[in-house]
Formats: sequence, C-alpha cells, structure tokens
Amino acid sequence: MVKVVTDSCSDINPQLAQELGITVVPLYVQFGNETYRDNVDLSTEEFYHKLETTKIHPTTSTATPADFAKIFTKLAEETKEILTITLSEKFSATYTAALQGKAMVGKDCRIEVIDSQAGACAQMLLVISAAKMAQAGANLEQIDDWVRRAIPRVHVRVGFDTLEYLRRGGRIGKAQALLGSLLKVNPIVGIKDGATFPIARPRNRAQAMDFLVNFVKGFSRIEAVAIEDATTPNDLQSLAERLKDVIPPERIYRSKVSPVIGTHVGPHVLAVAVLEAE
Amino acid sequence: MKSDLADGQTLKEMFASGTAWLEKSAPDINAINVFPVPDGDTGTNMVLTMKFALEETKSNSDNQVSSVAKSLAHGALMGARGNSGVILSQFCRGLAKGLEGKTHFDGGDFARALARASQTAYKGIVNPVEGTILTVLKDASKAAQETVKNDGALVSVLEAAVKSAEESVARTPRLLPVLREAGVVDAGGQGLYVLLDGALQFLKGESHKMQYRRPRLVVAETELVPRAAQRPAQLETPHGYCTNFVLEGQNLNLDKIGKDLKKKGQSLIVTGDDTLVRVHIHSFEPGEILKYATKLGRLHDITINNMDDQYVEFIKMQRERMPQVDIAMVTVATGDGFFELLNSLGNIIIVPGGQTMNPSVRELLQAVESAPSDNVILLPNNKNIMSAASQVQSLTSKKVKVIPTRNIPQGIAALLAFGYDMNLEKNARAMEKAISKLQAIEVTRAVRETRLKGLKIRKGQFIAILNDEDVIARADKIADVILEALGKAGAEKAGIVTVYYGAEIKGTEAQEIAQEIRDRYQAGVEVVYGGQPHYDYVISLE
Repeated sequence: MVKVVTDSCSDINPQLAQELGITVVPLYVQFGNETYRDNVDLSTEEFYHKLETTKIHPTTSTATPADFAKIFTKLAEETKEILTITLSEKFSATYTAALQGKAMVGKDCRIEVIDSQAGACAQMLLVISAAKMAQAGANLEQIDDWVRRAIPRVHVRVGFDTLEYLRRGGRIGKAQALLGSLLKVNPIVGIKDGATFPIARPRNRAQAMDFLVNFVKGFSRIEAVAIEDATTPNDLQSLAERLKDVIPPERIYRSKVSPVIGTHVGPHVLAVAVLEAE
Repeated sequence: MKSDLADGQTLKEMFASGTAWLEKSAPDINAINVFPVPDGDTGTNMVLTMKFALEETKSNSDNQVSSVAKSLAHGALMGARGNSGVILSQFCRGLAKGLEGKTHFDGGDFARALARASQTAYKGIVNPVEGTILTVLKDASKAAQETVKNDGALVSVLEAAVKSAEESVARTPRLLPVLREAGVVDAGGQGLYVLLDGALQFLKGESHKMQYRRPRLVVAETELVPRAAQRPAQLETPHGYCTNFVLEGQNLNLDKIGKDLKKKGQSLIVTGDDTLVRVHIHSFEPGEILKYATKLGRLHDITINNMDDQYVEFIKMQRERMPQVDIAMVTVATGDGFFELLNSLGNIIIVPGGQTMNPSVRELLQAVESAPSDNVILLPNNKNIMSAASQVQSLTSKKVKVIPTRNIPQGIAALLAFGYDMNLEKNARAMEKAISKLQAIEVTRAVRETRLKGLKIRKGQFIAILNDEDVIARADKIADVILEALGKAGAEKAGIVTVYYGAEIKGTEAQEIAQEIRDRYQAGVEVVYGGQPHYDYVISLE
C-alpha cells in the first residue's frame, strides 16, 4: 500500500492522520534557544499560551533532509511506494528538504514528492484525499497523478485580524497590498501559485465570516471543505454550522493551525479551503 | 417713467445676450483660483448650463414669458454642470416660478422673479455659504426691489440689479476667508454678474458693443493678502505659469512691488528687503511680470513653470509609484486625513476636490489616463461631480466604471469592497452593493438662520445632514447633534460607525464623542482623522 507523508504545516488533526495512515514530518518552532517539534513537543494551545506570555517572538525552521530520510527509511521497511505532499516551496524549504531526503535513501522504494502549492488546510485536503485513495488500493502513479491535477482545484481563503505576523515572518508577498490601512480591517488572503495573494478587506470579523461562507457558497460542485482556527473554537463552530447547508458535515474537515503556521498568522485566523469536484 | 411690457422673446434675447457675454468671460472666471484647487470650471459650467437652457427655449414657439421662463428652467436643470451650474439652474427655476402665469413682464415682475430666484437658489443648497453666487443674487434682487418703488421700467430695475451685483462680487472676499486668502472674488458670483450685465446690454440696445469687448473681472474691494504658505503640490491644481525670481536692486519698495504685481497674477508672495526681493506669482503672462521687474533691477534665479505641466507631472509621478494592476482606482477627495487614509488603502489616484471644488472633466480624464491599468474604477464621491465623471467614460479608450458615490464615506466603502480576485464588472457590482448599505451623516454649522423641513435653525447652530440631503438634527452642542442624528439614522442597527473628524476638530474631542456613541449603541466605533474643511464631522453607518 502507498504510504502518504506530509509535513506538519498540513495542520492535519493527529488522530485523523493516524486513522488514515499518514506520517507527519514536523517542522520546528524556536522560542529563543528552545526548539520544539511542531505539534509534537508543543501543541497549538501551548504555543499560543507561550506566544502571549513570553516576550520572545518565535521563529520557525524547516524539517531537515535527514528528518525526511529517517521517515522514508523507516517506511521503506513496509512499503515500496511513498507519496510526499509538502508546504508550498514559496513559503518554506521543506519541499527541497524532502527531495534531498529522498536522494539520501536507497532506490528500492519509490518516493514521489509533490509541492502542494499551498499550506495549512488547503494542503490538508490534498493529503487526506491521497491517503483515502491509498487506503482504497490506488497505486503511486494514480495518486500522484490525481494530486497534481487536483492542486489547481484547491482554493483557500484566510481571514486575518492583522497581517502583522505574516509580514514579520516575510510571507506576506502580494498580500502586502492589504497592509497599512488606516481603517481597521480584517483582511482576507488567498494563495495563488503557491504564494499569498490579496483578496478582500471586510471591516470586521462578522463581515469576514460572511465572506468565508459566501466564498464556499460560490462553488457549484464541492468535493470537500477544510476549516481551521487558531484560538477561536467558537468561531470555527459557527462557521461549520453555517456551512452545513452548503456541504454535508461529513465532508467538512476541522482542524487547528499548527504552531509553525500560527507563528506566521497570529492567534485570530480563520481559514477555509475548498476542493472543487473534478 | 411708465413701465413698458416685455414678452417671452425679450426674456429669451436677454439671456442669449447674457450667455454670449458670459462665454467671453468664461476663461477668466475659470482662472480664478479660489481654493488651492480651482472650483471646477465655474465659467465653463455656467456657460454650458445656460446654453442648455437657451437650447430648450428654441423649441418653444410660445411667446408668453411664463412659458419661455419655464423652458429656460427646464433646460438649465437638464444641463446643470458643477456646483455653479446647479445654483444657476435653481436661479432659473425661481425666475420661472416668479413669472408663472404671466404673458408679459415689467420691472416689477422681474424684481419679484429675481427675489423668488434668490430664495429658490438658497433653498437648493444644503449648506449655503455667503460670499458666493448666492450672496450676489440676493443683493441683486434686493436692489431690484428697491428700484421698483420709484421706477418700474425693466431696464432701470435690471440696471440696479447689475450695479448691485458688481458691488456684491467685489465684497465676496470680505465674506469668505478662502477668497480673501486667495486674493480673488467669487467665480460663481462673477459669472452671475456678467450674465445679468449681458442681459442689460441687450435691453439698452448696446449688444453691438459687446462684440469687441470682454467683460472685466470685478476687482476685490478689500486689501488682498498674499497667501502665506503654499499648500503641498497634491492640493494644488495650478493654472498658468508659476513664476519665481530674485530681484536685486537699490531702494526696492516691497509694498509697491506687491501692489503692482498683485494685479498681474495670483498666489503672490513678495519677501526680502530693499536690496534683494524674492517673488513668487502665478500668472498667465510671465513675460509681463519679468518686464515689470527688469525696470527695477537685475533678475536672478528665474524659473517659469507651466503649472498644467506640473500637474500632469504630479499625476505621472503618482503613477510611477504604482506597478501596473488589473484594475486601477481614481477617486476625488479633500482633506489631508482623507488623502492619507485613501493612500493607505492601496494604489489609488486621488484627484483633489469635493463639495465646493468640483474637478473638471479634464482633470478626471487626466487621472484616468494616468491610472496604471486599462480598467479603471472612478469614484466621484460627490453628486456634483457625477456628471463630469460619467463624461470621462466617452473621452477615453480605457474601460471606465463610474460608481455613483455621493460622499467620501461611500467612496471608502466602495474601495474596501474591492475584491482583488474579481473582474471590473463584478467589482462594480460589489461596490454598488457596499455603498447602498451605507448612511452618511455630515455635521457642520448653519451659516445663517433658516427653516428646513419645519426645523428652525439659528445661525451658528450645529446641523446634521443625512446622505447629503436632509437636515435631520440641529443643536447648540456638537455632541447633541451627532447623537440625535445617529438615532434618526438608525444607529441601533449599524455594525460599524466610523467617525471622520474635520480639520478644525481636536482628536481628543472626537474620541470623547466616539465614547458617547459606544455607550449608547452596540456598534463598533472607529475614529479617523479626515481633515476635511467645512464639515466638523463626517460619520458613516454600516
């Protein structure tokens, strides 16, 4: 059976990952001299608690080629086919690290590495679908081909309270068009061609929520939706409630941003990803 | 003198003559630089409005004066351009009301019609300002009524009105500080005087004299004070040539130089001492200025810049700062706070202007042409600028969508509704939806005693205007008028209240008022400096 690997920026719920046989390679968060493995040594709750209580602003770093090599080697004991889906290469060197990790291991296990051109819940939708195909018996070519064709059908919108974290982390890209407003806005950012892209400027959180709901409603054929929050479970709950009319709840995946993603988006994001049906 | 009766044809000829006279004066009137930004093309706007009015009378073969006046009023209303055109159309409407039911008219009828015209013009303006065309019209009508008491001849009545209008125009800088500061008379008032003067020349049988002459600009009665400091380039839409030089000589008389040059241009600044004088002046004839100065001494550091080029340069510079985008936005605003706010919302080209200074079609067109995209959204932010904005569409090869924003809060709401992933049409729809959900309250002081919709308003009282139309509250205290207006505008249902405070207001005062709004309503309240003139507060409800 094909084994599916992803990095921790896919924000996949650990329990769901286990159920679907997905191996998650953690990135790293540093608070000063302390280093934590994303979602392993530090949960999202602990991370945001630390973010509020310490003065040090965290930094993040990629998973190393060796981290990938170690996972690949271990998995090669039980499979001949590994599919790896990473965070957009424009956000992180994780994709490169995965390719280097692949080069470090023997040739008797086939490994494909795909740049998701996205991150967070958008990446998560691809990973979940790939894992489900693997469980259903699809081979590496089939899954690899499906994921590459599905990438353009994944659309994501992230509602922010502030773009300060994105700016500080150097990931703001074209979304900087939304920076600097003298009026308070809750900017909505998308991901296009693997990089952040400005979308809209609702005036408050209620309008931002409406925007996210309407975004999902705008698609005529939806295969799956993924939503996530950071520290606002009530908002996530109400978003899920409002999406129930648009798509059956069993096709809505819920999650929380990982500490690494959280470092770059701040505590009040609300994100929605849609996988359009083929 | 016994009054003789004039018919509809006479009225028609009077206005035709007046309009022809006004047309000759239009470039001069346009050039009067009231605000740092000229108030649109006042002269041109008035001429075009009157031409529309006359055109309408041509298709009317009825010779009754009431019928001709009605046609004039209808035509003027259809053709009204800019602020001054709107007032002129109100003038025509009042005239028509005053002449209603009359087949012929005499001096008495005309005086009464002028009085009605004056009332109608005042009523048509939400926030009438003295020292403008309104004052000139009021003074002219008063003089006409005075004259009727002794002499009911139409020509005598009009003569008195013209004389009084001229004097009134000369006084406008005393009434309006911006005029005084700029050293000019009111352009709209000047236009009305010329219009009436042209009509008078027809009545006197002196139309032929108009052929070789030009109406003269009324000279301000008060001592003119040169503008102390130049506003930043962004605020200035210049006309003519900006002329600078240093004059070196002996026993130079600064006062005399100032007085002499004052007649030759605008924005005059003369500084220095009796041996070295620096001169800055805006003039259409820089040669004349230099010729004058060379008689007094030697000239150094002479620079003469065509200010229209400078304006184009300024717009070009704005453009160069911007990368090409899918959809560019052009908007009209006044107030340094609003400039900053709009700039903070992205790459937006701002054409300076607003309520009392409508940008011309040309200025809007220039901005659209220089916008960093072939798809342009144009936000006029004022109902008086709407018609100019829609004209731009037919003058450019670019695709232009005009969103009918009537005030700056609507303009801001439209800009915030902009979706980066949407095309021009979808954005236009999103913006129109956004502005339809917004209410705007403008707070200012009543400049005179009045009664509006049964509301008695004392001079100096604060009044609140909802959506540029209705005065919905008045009070002596500004906080009271704001809270009352918010209640009437339905603030309990609003999600966001944004308080833009004007140039005259302290930030701390605005914050206090915001707190009172928060205490009373559920809405999120945001306070932003708008820096707008005239309106102490502009408040939006969404």
